[in-house]
Parts: sequence; C-alpha cells; structure tokens
Amino acid sequence: MKHAFIRNNYFSFAYTGLKLFFQLAVMLLILAVIVFYVSRLTPGDPLQSFYGDAVQSMTQEQLDLARERLGLNAPVHVQFTKWIEHACQGNFGISLRYKRPVLDVVKPLLGNTLILGIISYFFVFTLAIGLALVCARYEDKWIDRFICKIGTIAYYTPAFWLGVVLVLIFSINLQWLPSSGAYDYGKSKDILNWAKHLILPVAIMVASHFWYYAYMIRNKLLDELRKDYVLLARAKGMSKMSVLVKHCLRNIMPTIINIMAVSVPHIISGTYVVETVFNFPGIGLMAVSSAKYHDYNLLMLIVLITGFLVVISSFIAQYINERIDPRIKGTEIITL
Amino acid sequence: MEQVLSVENLSVSFDTKDGIVQAVRDISLQVNKGETLAVVGESGCGKSVFCRSVLKLLPDTAKITGKILIKSSDTEQDIVHLSEREMCKVRGTNFGMVFQDPMATLNPVIPIGKQIMEAIRLHQKISKKDAEKKAVELMELVGIDDAKNRIYQQPHFFSGGMRQRCALAIALALSPKILFADEPTTALDVTVQARLFDLLKEIQKKTGIAIVIVTHDLGLVARIADRVAIMYAGKIIETGTAEEIFYHSKHPYTWGLLGALPSLALKNGELKAIQGMPPSLLNPPQGDAFAARNDYALAIDYKMPPPLFSLSDTHKAATWLLDERAPHIEAPRYTQKNSL
Repeated sequence: MKHAFIRNNYFSFAYTGLKLFFQLAVMLLILAVIVFYVSRLTPGDPLQSFYGDAVQSMTQEQLDLARERLGLNAPVHVQFTKWIEHACQGNFGISLRYKRPVLDVVKPLLGNTLILGIISYFFVFTLAIGLALVCARYEDKWIDRFICKIGTIAYYTPAFWLGVVLVLIFSINLQWLPSSGAYDYGKSKDILNWAKHLILPVAIMVASHFWYYAYMIRNKLLDELRKDYVLLARAKGMSKMSVLVKHCLRNIMPTIINIMAVSVPHIISGTYVVETVFNFPGIGLMAVSSAKYHDYNLLMLIVLITGFLVVISSFIAQYINERIDPRIKGTEIITL
Repeated sequence: MEQVLSVENLSVSFDTKDGIVQAVRDISLQVNKGETLAVVGESGCGKSVFCRSVLKLLPDTAKITGKILIKSSDTEQDIVHLSEREMCKVRGTNFGMVFQDPMATLNPVIPIGKQIMEAIRLHQKISKKDAEKKAVELMELVGIDDAKNRIYQQPHFFSGGMRQRCALAIALALSPKILFADEPTTALDVTVQARLFDLLKEIQKKTGIAIVIVTHDLGLVARIADRVAIMYAGKIIETGTAEEIFYHSKHPYTWGLLGALPSLALKNGELKAIQGMPPSLLNPPQGDAFAARNDYALAIDYKMPPPLFSLSDTHKAATWLLDERAPHIEAPRYTQKNSL
C-alpha cells in the first residue's frame, strides 16, 4: 500500500480528506466539461429564451451584439475557461431565462426537491423493508408471490405514465388531489396544502423504486433464513417473524445501509421524472426546462449540485463498505 | 418407567421436484423420563429429520403423519397438528435442541448472554435483571468460567467447544423435559467431545432431563446411552438397551455397524465395512431396505419388509432372521460380550 507509512491517525485522516476532495473535484470537473460541451451541441438559440418572441423582430446586427454581450459568440473552450474562472469565485452567472443570478433561482427549488426526495426516500425504504420481511416470512406462499408480482409490475411501469394515470384518476375524475405544483398560490406556509401536493409525487416515486430494494432485501433475508442460527432461534420457541426481525434483519443491517447509500442517485434521478410530470417546482423540473431553453448557466449549476450529491453518496457507500468489510478498502466501487 | 415422549407411526416425506422423498417411514419410539436414548445410523438415514420433525423445524415441504405425544404423569398432547404459533410455545418449554455445528448455530452478532436471555424471556415474564442472573447460572451450569464477564461477549470470543456449551445453555434455559442433540460433537475435536458428553451426563443427573442424542458414533453411544435405536433408510430396525444392542444384537445391519467400529476391530483383528450404499429414499426398495447389502439376506427380504420382532420388553429387531422358519444364524463373534 503506497500510503502505509502514514502511521499517525491525524495525518491519515487529513490524507483521506484531501484524497476525497481531489476525487470530488476531478469528477465534478469532468462532469462540467461534458455537460458544457454537450449542451452547446444541441440545436436551438439561447437568445430565444433571453428575449422571447422579440428575437423574431431583431436584426442580425442586434443579435450579434447581444451574443457578444452575453459571451455566447466566443469559441466553446474560451467560454468554458471563463465559466470555470467565475464559478471558482462563487459566481455561477445569471439565468438567461429568468435574468437573475442562477443561485437565486435554484435556492428555493433545492428545498422543494430535498423535501420530495427525503420523504420518498423514507417511504421507499420503510415499504421495502416491510414487504421484504413479509415476503421472507411467507416465502413461496401466495402472499409472497402476490407481492413479487405487484412489485415487478410497479417496477417496470414507467413513472411518467403512472403519473399521468394517477393524475387522471385522483385529480381529474375524483378531484381529491391537486395535479401539479408544490403548493397552491399564496399557501406556501400551509403544511397541509404542501402534504396534499406531495401525495401523488411521493406515491409515484415509491411505486417506481421500492421493489428494486424490497427484492434485494428479501433475497438477503432468505439467504439469512437458511443459516443454522435461525434453527437454534426457532428451537428456543421464537416465531419465524421475530427471528426475521430480531436476528436476520439485524445481521443484514450493514448491507441495507450500504444499499441505502448507493440508492441516493436513483432517487435523485427519480425526482427529475416525477417533478416534470407533476410540474413540481424543484431542481429536477428546472434542469429539464433549462436544457430545453438553453439556459446554460442554470443547467450547469443544477448538474453540479446533482453531481455533488451523487459523488458524496457514493463516498458514503464506499466508507460504509470499508467499515463492514475491510477487504474492500482501496478498491473503488461503482455506483449508478 | 414414566414416558415423556411417545412417537407413534411417524412418517415424514418431502415433496421435491424429483418426487416424494420418504425420509422417515413409520417410526414408533418412546422416550422415558431421565434416560438417554441414542438414535444411530448412517448419513441420510433420516435420524436428523426424525429429530427435527418432533420439534417441527422442517421446511414447509415436509409432510408429517402419525402421532407425536408429549406425556406427563396424567396428560398427553398430540403435537402433530399444532399450528406454528402453538408450536412456538411447545418448543423451548418441552424440548431443547442442540445442533451439529456450534460455529453456525449461534447468531454471530448477538452476545451469548443475550441469546440465552432471549430464550428465557420468550416464555417467562421476568425482568431483565433476573433473566441476566439466570443466564449467568446457566453458563456456569454448562461449565463456562467467569460467566459474569463473558455474558456480553459475541460468539467469536468463544472456542468451538465453548460455543457448543453456550448452545447447550440456550437449550436448557427453560428446563425442558427432553433435550435433542443432533450430532452435537461432530464438529468438535475428540477431547472436547468427551468432556461435552461428561457434561451432558452430569446435567442429566442434576436435572433429570431426558436426552435424545442423534449420532453415528457408536463409541460415544456406548459411553452415554441407556437405550439405543438403530435407524436404516428411514426405519428403526433394531432398538434395545445399550447392553442388548452392543452384546446381543440380532440385526445384520447392527452387526455391520459394530464390525466397522475400530475399537472392536482391534480385538477382532479385522475392520469390516458394510458393502454398498444406502438406498435412495426417493424410491425405497420393496421388502427389506437393507437386503441388497445384507450377507445373510433371505429370499423374502427382497419381497416383504420384515415386521418388528420382540425379543424382550425392551429389545426389538426387524429382520426375517428372527422368524421361526428362518435358518439359524449365529451373530458374529465380535458382537458377543465375551469377545471384548
């Protein structure tokens, strides 16, 4: 091992921190380069989103002048170095569409997405663990098969389609739940109103994600159930369910925590789809629309935030893996 | 003798993809209070399945028929048809069980003491402190030094023999009537084996518990058992007191087992192996399952399974050789008392 000479804990801690920081920086840089170039390859004119319909009546001269002013006429690599320079100083530029600093545009949206993400995350794993326990307890009985079938169907149903169907049923036909947004106009402080708006998006998130994890945990539990200590626990007079909860679940807890860390990117990507379907004002929706409107600066910031979350969560997963199994140390795990 | 367990016409079959495996075929067996019964047989003869079927710890594919009666001085209860929930109450309080591999049977992440306390508190409403006290007592009973300090150590702090003692402590936690020991010493080395058996005997003397020990080690059986049941292909083919089995055995399979015992072979001058393989339990042969490997097989052995002939109150054997029409065959010399 190349850093085996570092004995002192303090130094090794600093070393790990530094290493992580560099990894993070490199990953984000690569991400930035790719997104920066690719977004400029897409057909369309960013001026369209800056000036709106006024673009149609502008002369070529005016257009060139505007491009010059917005820094859009320089070669892409020049634009990129300029962007990096400003970004390092904490200036991510202004949004072409909203004509405000992108940080101000994103800030309120980030909170919305986090609320949606965290609530979904909580329900996905509560449901996954609960169903996995039921399936493992009644392995191969009708209830296990039933849950497996429903889960598989839910997993393979496209989230956007399911979203539209649920809106059709609950918002349009039954009129129980709102079909879009995060809260009704002027009711941003009303928690009940928030909750009402969150039900459908969270339901979609949970429906499209829980089975992947439930199935994984179910199979882990079944592996565990084949072990001899289960026999001993049952010989004591424990019921199968309490053996599952008190012994098996406990023994696979490290694996579950690891799965939870790795799953963060999946949940984030899920919010992108769901926010778009429900017109939910979060960074997912904003990312899609900023790509559509060539709002380059806004897109870059959102991509960096998402990328940051993904990389950090994979670091956490790696850390947990190392704690569980020291042999993993030094090898990289692949997330996503 | 007061009976604590009576098994009548017990059959266990498994529904598998290849067909129905008849692991246990029509076994009847009694366990008396305070005695040690050894169930002996080759691998795959159904002795472990028999043990687990009494506790109903078999997978759901197993079909159990017959009667399993738990007896006390005035009552008896048939547990074959009990639901899983009712069985949970029967396990632990009536039966304790020790398994083969102590490395795998204890949960690796939960401290030993907690695993013992868990057993106690499942069936008795006592405080954590009292349970802890009782766990320490149990650990001392099974011979673990410094129990007070070791109670919160995980299984990996203990050696194999120590772990088997801990498993024993769990099995004894609720002072059950019968202790089932499914090859409890197979995974342990010989000196540890001997000490564990001494411990079992000692505990039996102290508590009067009945022990059913499943093993293929006849040396250990001679050391510990009061009664012996020899199993072959899912059936009990000979049963009797240890004396009767070791010195007056009547079944050719028992002769074969004894002949394959190295300590007897030393005196005999020849170590005899039983020819061939045990039959598949998927399609057990018609007639006597042992016939194909039996040097003394009669024509009828291939056609009809022999009934269980009674030789004394305790001694029974299932072989046509005991029929009055059969030719008289002398048991090999090494199975007779004066040869030892």
